[in-house]
Amino acid sequence: MSTSPKDIEQLIDSGYEHGFITNIESDTVPPGLNEDVIRLISSKKNEPEWMLKKRLSAYKKWLGMTPPHWAKLDIQPIDFQAISYYSAPKNLSDGPKSLDEIDPEIRDTYNKLGIPIEEQMALAGIAVDAVFDSVSVATTFRGKLADAGVIFCSMSEAVQDYPELVKKYMGSVVPDRDNYFACLNAAVFTDGTFVYIPSGVRCPMELSTYFRINEANTGQFERTLIVAEDNSYVSYLEGCTAPMRDENQLHAAVVELVAKEDAKIKYSTVQNWYPGDAEGKGGIYNFVTKRGICQGDRSHISWTQVETGSAITWKYPSCILTGKDSIGEFYSVAVSRGKQQADTGTKMIHIGENSKSTIVAKGISAGQGQNTYRGLVKVMQGGENARNYSQCDSLLIGDKCGAHTFPYIEVANPTAKVEHEASTSKIGEDQLFYCQQRGLSEEDAVSMIVNGFCKEVFNELPMEFAVEARKLLNVTLEGAVG
Amino acid sequence: MSTLANDAEQWLKQIIDKAVKVTDTEQVEWFKDIRNNAQLQLQDYTAPNRKQELWKYSNIDSLFKNQYSPVDEELDAIQQVDIDEHFITDIDTYRLVFTNGRFMPHLSNIQNLPQGVKLGGLRDALKTDTDMLASWFGHAAKHYQHVFSALNTALINDGLFLHIEDGIKLEKPIEVINVSLSVDNALIIQPRNLCVLGKEASATLIERYISTGDSHYLNNNLTEVVLEESANLQHYRLQEESPTAYHLGSVFLSQQAYSVYNNSSISLGGAWSRTEFNVDFKAEFAACHLNGLYMVGDGQTQDFHLNIRHDVANCSSTENFKGILYGKGRAIFDGLIYVAKDAQKTAAHLSNKNLMLSRQAEIDSKPQLEIYADDVKCSHGTTIGQLEPQQIFYLRSRGISEQLAKKMLCLGFAGEIINNINIECIQEYLNRAVKNTLQVESQANVK
Amino acid sequence: MISIKNLHAEVAGKQILKGLNLNVNAGEVHAIMGPNGAGKSTLSHILSGRDGYSVTQGQVTFENDNLLDLAIEERAHRGIFLAMQYPVELPGVNNMVFLKESLNAIRSARGEKVLDAIAFMKLIKQTAATINLDEKLLKRDVNCGFSGGEKKRNEILQMALLEPKLAILDETDSGLDIDALRIVAEGVNALRNENRAMIVVTHYQRLLDYIEPDFVHVLVDGQIVKSGDKSLALELEEKGYDWLKPEVAA
Repeated sequence: MSTSPKDIEQLIDSGYEHGFITNIESDTVPPGLNEDVIRLISSKKNEPEWMLKKRLSAYKKWLGMTPPHWAKLDIQPIDFQAISYYSAPKNLSDGPKSLDEIDPEIRDTYNKLGIPIEEQMALAGIAVDAVFDSVSVATTFRGKLADAGVIFCSMSEAVQDYPELVKKYMGSVVPDRDNYFACLNAAVFTDGTFVYIPSGVRCPMELSTYFRINEANTGQFERTLIVAEDNSYVSYLEGCTAPMRDENQLHAAVVELVAKEDAKIKYSTVQNWYPGDAEGKGGIYNFVTKRGICQGDRSHISWTQVETGSAITWKYPSCILTGKDSIGEFYSVAVSRGKQQADTGTKMIHIGENSKSTIVAKGISAGQGQNTYRGLVKVMQGGENARNYSQCDSLLIGDKCGAHTFPYIEVANPTAKVEHEASTSKIGEDQLFYCQQRGLSEEDAVSMIVNGFCKEVFNELPMEFAVEARKLLNVTLEGAVG
Repeated sequence: MSTLANDAEQWLKQIIDKAVKVTDTEQVEWFKDIRNNAQLQLQDYTAPNRKQELWKYSNIDSLFKNQYSPVDEELDAIQQVDIDEHFITDIDTYRLVFTNGRFMPHLSNIQNLPQGVKLGGLRDALKTDTDMLASWFGHAAKHYQHVFSALNTALINDGLFLHIEDGIKLEKPIEVINVSLSVDNALIIQPRNLCVLGKEASATLIERYISTGDSHYLNNNLTEVVLEESANLQHYRLQEESPTAYHLGSVFLSQQAYSVYNNSSISLGGAWSRTEFNVDFKAEFAACHLNGLYMVGDGQTQDFHLNIRHDVANCSSTENFKGILYGKGRAIFDGLIYVAKDAQKTAAHLSNKNLMLSRQAEIDSKPQLEIYADDVKCSHGTTIGQLEPQQIFYLRSRGISEQLAKKMLCLGFAGEIINNINIECIQEYLNRAVKNTLQVESQANVK
Repeated sequence: MISIKNLHAEVAGKQILKGLNLNVNAGEVHAIMGPNGAGKSTLSHILSGRDGYSVTQGQVTFENDNLLDLAIEERAHRGIFLAMQYPVELPGVNNMVFLKESLNAIRSARGEKVLDAIAFMKLIKQTAATINLDEKLLKRDVNCGFSGGEKKRNEILQMALLEPKLAILDETDSGLDIDALRIVAEGVNALRNENRAMIVVTHYQRLLDYIEPDFVHVLVDGQIVKSGDKSLALELEEKGYDWLKPEVAA
């Protein structure tokens, strides 16, 4: 007759489709972390002295810090000396890259992942920066973007070509001391993306970075910086995958966004790092610090994330709303299944008058997954007429998972209006029955209901990626039904 | 093992040292053991500080700066007339008066109790009903939940003892009036209350905290409530302490199957007030409803902590707390709903709504859901906002002054909680109290 | 078309159906009436395969197959449609998307071509118009924020779209005012034909003023205690159900 929760749980075991390894020769520094390693990274990247100094100063601070206390996460201590802090495909180590010179193996990797790095094949209107382990291997459509005045390049190049901008903004939103992993990143970051949109420019295409961890025992420490000058607009998307490996790999990135007057930055993430196997072996530790500052009046930063991968996710893309009438948004879908643990949310700091923020977080827990929303809405004394609306909904699939909601709300201005709502439920048996009675298979019924649950968030993604995100969610939940 | 930080360590030591002198030596063995253990435990606690999640927003430092002495003698300065003015009129109750934590039979009226109901002071019960007390004492409460419950346990002196046998439905409400007053030294007053309702028993308990003056003291009270199968308790808690007093109240609740607990807590007084509810469901199909109203103004902090643990299936809880903040008032609300792995079919819904009437007020709200079972219906919601200008406009357009309009809207806001109390004269009493508080507020706000 | 023999079923250990027999042929409309708790909803749920019911005895044959062996959606594919007493809300799921998925799932199971978006749009608009359903409801989430009448009309829309062989209408009249009831009944009547059978489950006779049944059965305490034509319904309206109860005992 009909399906029992057990049948549904059996459906859960779908594989990770991006788990292959690319066989290329890599230039990888031996594991370990000390000043010499940092000097080595800096010299491999041919960095100016000021950058090395910045790194060493961060490293010194880091040595004095202690790892964070993991609120709701069950985590093995990380051996920072067992990680290699730099790995690059060999033929990229020396000499400049051009799109034609890319190793065919790497090109194949990206094609297999569905990320076109050849411009003629590219999705219309999307420029890609492809980061492979520690280095950027390709950045497309640079010419077209340059015509519009947009800078879109790897962080390594930005350090060389736009030192003043990097000096001015790097670390201005996420200072070294912000947290343990951000500080580590400041010391050892290897590459990442730099985007600069000049005043009055609407970036003519979607920008995206595609991160791939390939080499074993390496960590990926990328650094992304997006600066949107007055009255500009940019939409940026990042995607992430990694091979299936038995050991945990660390990904500790820092993303900084700066939005000036009337500027809007839309930042979308589809995170699908390898989550580890069913027993919780392997997988990426995804410890990321993402923060944007709405510096100018009427500036607008919008974070959208679909988090389906990683063994452990720990990230709180945040907005500091300094400008008057500035807007911060956070839309999130986080899925944890198997033994995945996700602790994610946002911080909205209301400093400017009439600043507004919206939080929509959807957590889906299946298998033995643990999903935590942790968020802060803080209205400072000057946050006159600040408005926040938060909605956090959790969906539980199966009886071994958990869903937790920990919002912190701090208001020191009486004209502020803050509303937070959260709910937890499972897919209703009556909803499943209804769909099945209308001829849908159980799996289709679940996928339809879950997609409905996530709709508000998917609506925020750029169209092509919304389709991808839906597919990804369906693949992730294949069989995760209960 | 960490120890108390210096300030707090000193603070505790001086209280305990002074208390040793007044310890009643005639006490029964098991009771003495509990006290002594608690004193030992106290040495191992980490003092509450703002790095701890439970004390993140509560400024406890100022408490440790004050010196408190345990009560060493009965307070005979309190006369019937002093108490009379605090009586809620038109209500017929079994009345127990405690002054500075000690039961005062001559000020109380507990005549004509039905058979099967024990009601009186804990200290007396220790002599008359020691076995009954021994079997229930500590049943619901964790003696050493944190430093303050341990402190209460270490120096237990007196408090309410209520035991109702199976099947007895007590119609007349029980009113417990705790009057506190420090004359020379600032006192630490630690009522320890125990209420046990047998199977299918029911009762109404009104627990009041008042002061006859505006003296400075610390009332660190702990109330244990045990509800046996299908028992039903209406519990009203009215905190109207002196404006300079510190008040720390912990309620520990243990519920058996099909029992129902309704609580309305109204917290208006004190300079610093913290109320904690610890709810444990021991068996299925029990229901717990907590309602709270807090009003905070200049120099006041009100703090509510809920720890609702759904460890078994099929229980339901609702938590509905509202706050009105004015002047430089500061409020903290921290409400955790925990649903264990097998607690299927749990229904738990929490709401915290705050009205901010002044520029300097501050609120921190932290509702939490921690859920490990899938077939549950749980939600929480928090709002922080102001009176709706359209509503004020509407009232004014009907000829009502702005002041009055605001007051009416505040009363309406508070009414949702007050109306849960199903004794009309208490509702009226509280409406008056809220009105008076708002009066003070509106005078203070005149620029 | 469907034959129910000596059906015994329980819910959570409680015996609800106690030997129910019923034969329904193509083209017939059968009304099943009975007091609350007689087992009316249990019957419609068992026929559509809902979880939580266990059949302890008896059999149900649908077009010569054992119906009870089929999964919920297989029954839907074979042409069984249940119009629910309380249609379920699906937040975030667009009604149009839902209807399309459902129709195409059933069409492909029948070996028919699935409809593309344009063909589907045409069909749905046409169908919605015939039952007077506001097109706005198609754009909303399934049943979310629908009035009682709108939900029931949405059910009839699905029935018209999916063209079932056997439609089971479970208390379709509940919660409807007289105008809504008439519209829904007209929708149902329009769908009556010689190939389609219907089982109309209802507590009250008034629905049968609008949907005239060929047969009326009275279900009391898990058994059909009396069968007749539509005049039986009027008799029930007049006398209530109590007079039938002794017959059970007898």
